[in-house]
Amino acid sequence: MKSWHRYAITLVGGIAVGLGGAWGLTRGGLGDGAIRNGPWTTSLGYGTKATDPLTRAMVARSGLLALPAKETLYWMARTDASGARLDGNCRYRLSGKPLDARWWSVTVYDAKGYLVANAANIWSVNGASVPLDDKGEWHVTIAPDRPADGAWLPGIKGQPFDLTLRMYNPGAGVRAGPSAAALPAIVKEGC
Amino acid sequence: MRRWIGPLAFGLIVALAAGYAAIAAIPYGMMKIAMDRLGRGGINQMSQGPLATPARQPVVRPSPDLAYSSCPFDLAAGPLEIMVVPVPGRYSSLSIFDAATDVAFVRNDVEAGGKPYRIIVAREGQVVPPGAEVVRVGHDRGIALIRLLLKNPAEIGSLDAIRRQSTCRTVTKSK
Repeated sequence: MKSWHRYAITLVGGIAVGLGGAWGLTRGGLGDGAIRNGPWTTSLGYGTKATDPLTRAMVARSGLLALPAKETLYWMARTDASGARLDGNCRYRLSGKPLDARWWSVTVYDAKGYLVANAANIWSVNGASVPLDDKGEWHVTIAPDRPADGAWLPGIKGQPFDLTLRMYNPGAGVRAGPSAAALPAIVKEGC
Repeated sequence: MRRWIGPLAFGLIVALAAGYAAIAAIPYGMMKIAMDRLGRGGINQMSQGPLATPARQPVVRPSPDLAYSSCPFDLAAGPLEIMVVPVPGRYSSLSIFDAATDVAFVRNDVEAGGKPYRIIVAREGQVVPPGAEVVRVGHDRGIALIRLLLKNPAEIGSLDAIRRQSTCRTVTKSK
């Protein structure tokens, strides 16, 4: 084998490894944000010029046109409170106190970040659609089938799924200490 | 084996360079795709998209709670004028993203005092209308996006007429 053959092989291999590595590194999406709060993760760097190239590329792939944190905090959860992957065949209780934001919503996406059809045409719940109980808390059942009562967010039957929590105009306290903010609990009730 | 040391070192450098270049290029590529998908109503024009559903998801992770109006823009022919008409008592925001996906400007309805406002988007050096509020960007191309929050999807019928009052267009005269 001639010397230039070896260089040609490593040139092609290097390009392939570089491109593949870049694609793999940027596919973590919003879930790989630097800030963690229970099963939720976010970053305060989305949508700003200060964001490093890797975060910018990750956001471009998983949350293009995301707003900066002052305007909206995007939290993503891929697991429940126990750390188990969210499973569309299971039933979860999503609950919490009213969130410190002008408006909030929780949306179900597939693992690639897209909405999936369901018979009820429901993909999200928001602060205006969930009633509070006597303790001032709201509760939503995430399950493939509609529960007997209460608010319902359809899961994605037969698939793992992600949740995205959007907090529009989050309070100053949340922005100052997002990892300690009161966020919804995600508790598996059964499968 | 020693004859491979040089080529392998070369391959490692190529891999690092290719990876860095790809990471730098991804935002531009994703933005181009988004502009192509959102720009079917035309460049430098405001398009009022239908609500996101599984059948219509022009970008990843769309919010089904938001009515999006988008104006993919190209400043090659001149600055862009954006007129925004907020819906009273309802969260809405204008955000302007450049070709690198960076946010150049955001204003919500509260910050606007609930009143209509006008923004000029321009490159450095472009002549803009005197007295206008100007946002300077580093790229010709980008997307201006208006988000309007709905309490439920059925509201879009009653709010659509107001959101259609928001417009964008190329400024052909600097007055």
